[in-house]
Amino acid sequence: MTPIRIVVADDEDLARSLVREYLKESIDVEIVAECANGFQAVKAVTELKPDLLLLDIQMPRLDGFEVLELIGRETNVIFITAYDQYAIRAFDVHAVDYLLKPFSAERLAEALDRARKKIARGESTAPAALVTEARAPGTRPDRVLIRDGTEVHVIPVTKIDYVEAQDDYVCYRAEGKRLLKQQTLADVEAVLEASRFVRIHRSYILNVDRLAKIELYAKDSHAAILRDGTRLPVSRSGYSRLNALIG
Amino acid sequence: MHPILENRQRLAFYLIAWLPISAILTVIVKREPSPWVEAILVAVPMSFLYAFMCLSAWYVCLAAPMRGQSLARSMGTLGAASALASGAWVLFGEIWAVSLDPWMATPGLNEHYIGTQIAPVFVIGMLLFLLAAAAHYVLIAVDQHREAEKRTLEMQVLAREAELRALRAQIDPHFLFNSLNSISALTVSDPQGARRMCLLLADFLRSSLVLGAKTEIPVSDELRLVERFLDIEKVRYGSRLSIVRNIDPNCNGCLVPPLLIQPLVENAIRHGIAPLVDGGTIRMDVQREGTALEIVLENPVDAGGRRTAKDGAGVGLENVRSRLAKLFANDARVDVSNENDRFQVRLKFPCIQFGETR
Repeated sequence: MTPIRIVVADDEDLARSLVREYLKESIDVEIVAECANGFQAVKAVTELKPDLLLLDIQMPRLDGFEVLELIGRETNVIFITAYDQYAIRAFDVHAVDYLLKPFSAERLAEALDRARKKIARGESTAPAALVTEARAPGTRPDRVLIRDGTEVHVIPVTKIDYVEAQDDYVCYRAEGKRLLKQQTLADVEAVLEASRFVRIHRSYILNVDRLAKIELYAKDSHAAILRDGTRLPVSRSGYSRLNALIG
Repeated sequence: MHPILENRQRLAFYLIAWLPISAILTVIVKREPSPWVEAILVAVPMSFLYAFMCLSAWYVCLAAPMRGQSLARSMGTLGAASALASGAWVLFGEIWAVSLDPWMATPGLNEHYIGTQIAPVFVIGMLLFLLAAAAHYVLIAVDQHREAEKRTLEMQVLAREAELRALRAQIDPHFLFNSLNSISALTVSDPQGARRMCLLLADFLRSSLVLGAKTEIPVSDELRLVERFLDIEKVRYGSRLSIVRNIDPNCNGCLVPPLLIQPLVENAIRHGIAPLVDGGTIRMDVQREGTALEIVLENPVDAGGRRTAKDGAGVGLENVRSRLAKLFANDARVDVSNENDRFQVRLKFPCIQFGETR
């Protein structure tokens, strides 16, 4: 049997050393990387394609949920947390395995067993819905994370000019850059703050702060002119939404 | 707020008290051959006008408090104010009598009045004003006493709450479970360290239980608790956590509400150090500034990090603010700044040593 390849992500040295100690006994497990923050975890998963990620929720830079969002469903995940009531509820709902600190070697072995079976069946462990449900209510992210190969771009929401739908992707325009993310525009709309961003068109979400003026260029059809001169189409319903927001 | 005007019951009593006064005034103003009704017409409106004028004695009482000023000075202020009020009153009375005169059955009412009664009415006016001032002093004292009682009660309630919070703080789940996880990790690799961590944790929990039950503790006790806490967190965070202390030993006797600083240190670690890959340095200053105690806590923040202001830091600070306000009223300041990726909380309040009164 080939050993399962594991990445351990936890910002505390001691916590990682505990996992290492627990796993030392098992022959069918190999720790391929240890990560002390979220960026490292994303990089390690992308480069090493492990079978399993032991992922602590509280970490610097990117927390466990952000890591999950970025790695998508590539890798099976077992979450680790000391205490996180919302996360635990979401894990239970979605039957996602998790370890509560402090945990025993037996509990870890049990979780590994289950993960092994899931991997053998080709199942994924963490559904996408988990990312939004596991956070405490009222903690809307103020940044967008985009993975580009092993690199992670962090875009503060205030820096986004507009978002454009492109086939299966959306394209974020921010600080002169174009960044693609596999997402639907409806997902983007749900995440961004409604007081600043408005869906002006089937394919566009605009940061209202960037709007310079609205021009009428044909009967019933408008164009939004941004501060940098960019023209974006505004649909009829988009126009009324825009008007409702800026008065 | 005005002690009489703010309370309808008091205002009613006050006005009733003026009924006999207006009767006396009627008798004084009454002169043959004018009938009683004319005297009443002059005296009763005058009395009630003066009743309201005398409410202004409150401002005089505030300007000339009985405590903290020489008696002579207070008396001087009161005398001048009463002469002024009475003078104005007599003048109003004159005008009133003169304007009523044409309708009176016996013309010359104003002459009787002006001619003979100015001096006694003026003296009565002064006396009435002084009486009103005395009543106001009493009411102000009563209100102050009640306010003080209310404050004491509120402080007891807050102390109770602090105790509960202390109990909760000991079992702050993140802190406790992570510490237990550290112990679990140390048991094999470093048994001595595991034991030390157990003892530190027990010590911290016990002392926060003991201190949390008190209303005020010397700042040195609070700082000892903070050190216990930092010892434990250092085991978890290792080299990522460092502290620079700047503590003036002259502050040690100053009294603070228990668990004032420790939660701030906890916030500094959770929101400042933990999200930073390489950690950072927390600065803790406890200094005397004249008669005041100044406590400064400063931690680095991750510039590109998530803003998670909602997860407790705000609530914790609000708590500190209200506890200090209850103890020191307007003498306590809590300033928060967030500049150049450094978050700073600055507390400043009077240093009161054990046994001193506030």
